[in-house]
Formats: sequence, C-alpha cells, structure tokens
Amino acid sequence: MQLSLNEDQTQVLDFIDSLAKPYATVPMHDVSLALESAELDEALVENGFLDVMAVEELGPVMAALVIEKLARLPFAVEAAASAMVRPLIDPELPRPLCLMEEGKARKPLRFLRPGATVVVVGPSGVKSFITTEDMIAPAQEDTLYGYPVAFLTSQPDSMTSHDVDVAEITRAWRVAMAAEAAGLLGAALASTVTYVSERKQFGRPLATFQGMRHRLAEDQVMTNTAYWMAMRAAGTGSQADAAMALHHAQEAAKRVCYDYHQFLGGMGMTLEHPLHLWTYRLKLLTAELGGRGAQGLAAAEALWG
Amino acid sequence: MQFEWTEEQDAFRHKIRDFLHANLPDDWETFSEHGPASPALTAFAREFCVKLADAGILFPHWPVEMGGEGLGPWEQQILAEEMWIAGEPRGGQYMNVNWIGPTLEKYGTDEQKKRYLEPITKGQSLWCQGFSEPDAGSDLASLRTRAELKDGNYVINGQKIWTSYAGLADTCFLLTRTSDDRKRGITIILVPMDTPGITVRQIPSLIGEGDIHEVFFDDVTVPESARFGDEGQAWEIVGYSLRNERLGIPRFTLARAALDRAVQMLKAAGDFDGDYVKIEAARCAALCEAAGTANYAVVQRRVDGLAIGAESSSARYATVMAERAVCEFVIEFLPEALAGASPYLKMHHQRGIVAGVAAGSAEIQLNIIASEVLELPREPR
Repeated sequence: MQLSLNEDQTQVLDFIDSLAKPYATVPMHDVSLALESAELDEALVENGFLDVMAVEELGPVMAALVIEKLARLPFAVEAAASAMVRPLIDPELPRPLCLMEEGKARKPLRFLRPGATVVVVGPSGVKSFITTEDMIAPAQEDTLYGYPVAFLTSQPDSMTSHDVDVAEITRAWRVAMAAEAAGLLGAALASTVTYVSERKQFGRPLATFQGMRHRLAEDQVMTNTAYWMAMRAAGTGSQADAAMALHHAQEAAKRVCYDYHQFLGGMGMTLEHPLHLWTYRLKLLTAELGGRGAQGLAAAEALWG
Repeated sequence: MQFEWTEEQDAFRHKIRDFLHANLPDDWETFSEHGPASPALTAFAREFCVKLADAGILFPHWPVEMGGEGLGPWEQQILAEEMWIAGEPRGGQYMNVNWIGPTLEKYGTDEQKKRYLEPITKGQSLWCQGFSEPDAGSDLASLRTRAELKDGNYVINGQKIWTSYAGLADTCFLLTRTSDDRKRGITIILVPMDTPGITVRQIPSLIGEGDIHEVFFDDVTVPESARFGDEGQAWEIVGYSLRNERLGIPRFTLARAALDRAVQMLKAAGDFDGDYVKIEAARCAALCEAAGTANYAVVQRRVDGLAIGAESSSARYATVMAERAVCEFVIEFLPEALAGASPYLKMHHQRGIVAGVAAGSAEIQLNIIASEVLELPREPR
C-alpha cells in the first residue's frame, strides 16, 4: 500500500498542468453550453498523455490520474475512453472514442462526430466502426450537458469484432467514468467553494452560514472518497472495485450538483459562471452504463455472486 | 500510488488472524454480545491482552524505544482492522495501545511513563476518558470540572458524563478547568479511579453493558505530579490524541464484515434475489469501501510523516455514513438480527450507532472539514 504519488506520476501530472494552463479558465465572453478545444486535444495526443496506460512503469493508475486531472478543466476532452479503454481493445482505434452499450443507441453519445470510433459493448461482444456523417444526428443545439453530444441514427451492417473480454472492457469503462467523474466533482467543489467564500449576503460571506458549510463538508467527503475509489479501482483491476467506484461517483454526482446550483443561486443558472460545465457533465455521467442501479447490481454480483 | 499490501503486510495480517482463531473461544460471538466495556469482556481482555503481548502483537507499532517493534502505521491499521472485525477482544484496552501509550510517551513526565506504560504493555490496565460533561458535549471547551492547586495537590470537583469504561477503569485521563481562559484554561490530570471522592454511576444504554457512566468528583485530591503536560496544554494534547483516536477504530471494516454476514443470512433465507436488496447492499458496500479509502489516505499521511490534519475528520465522516447505512440495511432487511438471530450483527449495531456521536460528533467533524479542508471563512461567533 502506497498512496502517495510516485515521481513518475507527479511528473506526468505536472506536465499536464503546464500544458493545460491556457485551458484552465473559460475564455471571456464565451457563453457556450459546451466547450472544447481541438488544440488541447492535439497537444495531449502529441505528448502521449492518452497512451500512458501502455507504458509499463505508468499503467492504469496513471491513466486514471490523467483522466481525473483533465476532467477538472472547463474544456471537455475525450480522454477517459481513449486512455483507459482503447488500449485494451486496439490502441490504434481512431479518436474520439464513443463507448455505447449494445441496444442503447437512443442515448446521446458524447463526442460523437464523423470519423469518431463507436465501440459497441454488450452480450454479443465488443465491436467497433468508424462513423460517417449519415449515421449521426445532432442533438438539439442548446442541449445542456456540457459535452458535445450527438445521436447515432444508424449502424453499419458490418463492424469490426474485437477479441476481448466484454466484462474486462466494461470494468475499464466503469473505472474510466469513475475517474472522469472524480475530476468533475473536484472542480465543481473548488469552483463552488471560491464563489461562496466571496459572495456576501446579509453582510457576510455565504460560506459562513452553517447550513451551507455542513452540506459543502459532506460534499467534500463524497468527492474525496470518489477520487480514492476511482484510483483504487484502477489499481486493483477488480470488478467489484470498479462497480463500486462508479456507483459511488454517480451517487456523489446526484447529490452535489443540486447543492452547487443552489449555493450559486442565480449565478449557477447563467452561463457567466462555468459551474454548469462540470455539473451538467456529471449529470450525464450519472446515466452512463445504466446508472447507479446497474452499478449496484454489478457490484453485488462481483461481491456476493 | 499502488493499492496492494506487501507480502510482509499480508503475512502480518495472517499472523493476527491465526492468533485470533487459536485464542478466541468457540462461543466468542455470543460472548462478545456482553459489550466491550462489560465486566465479562473486561476480564476476558485482561487475559487476552497478556497473550497478545506474549505473541508480540499488543503494541508492535510502537517505536522500539517504547518497547514496540517499530512497525509502521500500515501495520497498526492492519492490527486494528483485524481486532475490530473480530469484535474487539481487547475491550477498552484498544485505547491504551492506540493513543494513551503514544500520548504518554510524547507528553508524560518520566514518572508518569514509568508508572503507566508498563501496565499497558502487560495488558493489565484500563483507562477511561473524562472528557464530556452534562453541559459540555460537542462544546467541550466549555467544561467546568475544576481543579484547584492547593498545597501541592490538585483538588477536583465536578461531573463527567458518557464516560466509557469508567466502571472498571484504573485511571482516568481527566480534563479539568484550571482557569477561565476557555481552551487555554483546560488541564489534563491523570486520576487513579480508586481515589476517595470519586463516584461512578452506570447509565443504562443501547450499546451494551457497562459502557456509559456519569462520574462525580467531590474534593478528589491528587498530587501536583498527576498533572499531564502543562496547565492549559490540554487542548493541544487532546487534539493530538483525538486525531489518533478518530482513526484508531477502523469501524468501516466491522461494518463491511457485518454487511457480508447480513448478505449471507439473506441468501440462506432466499431473500437476496431482488434487485432492490442487491442495489442497497452494494450501496452499503461502496460506502464502507469509500470510508476505507479515506482512512487509508490519512494513514499514508502518517507514513509520510505529515501531520494528521482535518483529513481525519473527513475520513471519520465517511465512516459515519458507512456505519449508518449498514445499521439501517440490517434493520430493513433482517429485523430478526437484533432480536436474537445474529449476535454478531447486534454487536455491530451497538458499536456502529455511536460512530457519529463518539470522539467528536459528526457535525463537529463537518465544522472542521469546512474550516480546515475547504478553508471556508469561519462562522461569526
């Protein structure tokens, strides 16, 4: 057991920090519901940050740390599937990667666009295909989710089958989502803490009111444990740990998003403040892989048969 | 960052498990229903801790200069986990090795170390904490039990309440007021419980026999040398002790073991087939594991030689959430467990329900997290 970051991990995270610095704040007057940067994505790819899992001395915990770190940015990056799942299927699959549960094409897919790889995971195995424009319908323009999302309207008759274990891919998918949610939780909490520490009502900062302090403290407990559970699930490779990590992150998301919008009041409803970029991403992640109920059933199966 | 135990740590855990297997009686689970502070378990612990000492696993985490083996914080954690999963056969003596011994070593006089450390290492002493008072619970700094220095003796008058183990303890780690300067006016005195003027009354409770007491001090007189630390130093010392104490009981492990036991009972009864019960059980398991990870993050701080700060409050609150969830799960799905069907689950329940109350209430932990982890501006006072 060694829970401190090792030298390699610290170094990689420091590199990401400096590379992502121009993307750490929301550009002035940007009122987008979602926010992306092709330049940031390109820089991450060029520097190999999405391929750390395959590097022997770095591995899956490093991948989870990278995902968590990038999820803190106001800019959405397709890192989770690429860094944690793609290496297990085929490291050469074109990005972005869109993970989809078999038979669930009705749900919006994050980062779906022409040229993206859709990976279909389900009872009949793990298959993939590259999307073309005619397979995609845009989501409504002012969709709230903070990610670029679109709908898959058709799937090709022929897909590439991958000789990989569905359970193992699902496990990695859960860990990837848990790590991404952990980063979003951390960023949303930090952003809220800053706001309520500065915003004054009744002559004093909002954060001095105990009704708010206790809820924020409970949110810190959920956020802290979501981080550690995601990291542990990445490290142990256990099915139970993965399912519990995502369950806990989805549970945390459900709770904190409500709190933070309440605490920011009107500011949390306007696009002047970036809160929605983290909270509405979190909200979409609560629907991932069947949501808390499905994670609960998966954890119960892994723990008790 | 890596999450596996080393071979040595695994071997240490197995050594403890083997010891427990060999040394706990066959009827231990039923016996442990007496409660950790009961006369029966206290007497059992006096023999059991001697065996632990002989096997070198009473205080192996203490530094070599204190007679320990200098094993690290992870080994202390493993030891505590295995003892709690087993229902804490050390009874109240767990406190001795967790925080009383190390606190004596850090702040005690040579005379105090000589007097009190040896019985701890021989498994022969039982302490109680004289902290809470009828009007000083969460607001501990408002305590009023007064100690006045007269002719080289402290004369103590006042009342303590919710004092665990007081009925059978040899010594009280007593917080007294020596001046009116709130936190800076509190002083620790180590009081032998057989000193004239002490009256102990047991308060019947939900959490087992002999656990909770009120203790009255009427002109209790002890020499000045019984003072622990300087006058007014109590708040600092207690802060040090409680940060250890909050982690000292790895409640999440017992909660997790109790959950496993509950699931096995439900499966045996054919009542673990529905989705709802499975999802609820998994939610409880996730909360237990969440508490575990938060606790481990604090243990790592110890390993790294960092101060155990308010992160221990965060870990503690995560533990409270887990305990509450498991206690509620058992009652919802296995109400018979607390009515005779499972001594183990009843034992867990009795220990679990105090998680949010003991060693600083859950709400106090939230205050600490708000101020010291999130660094929110403080409430006006």
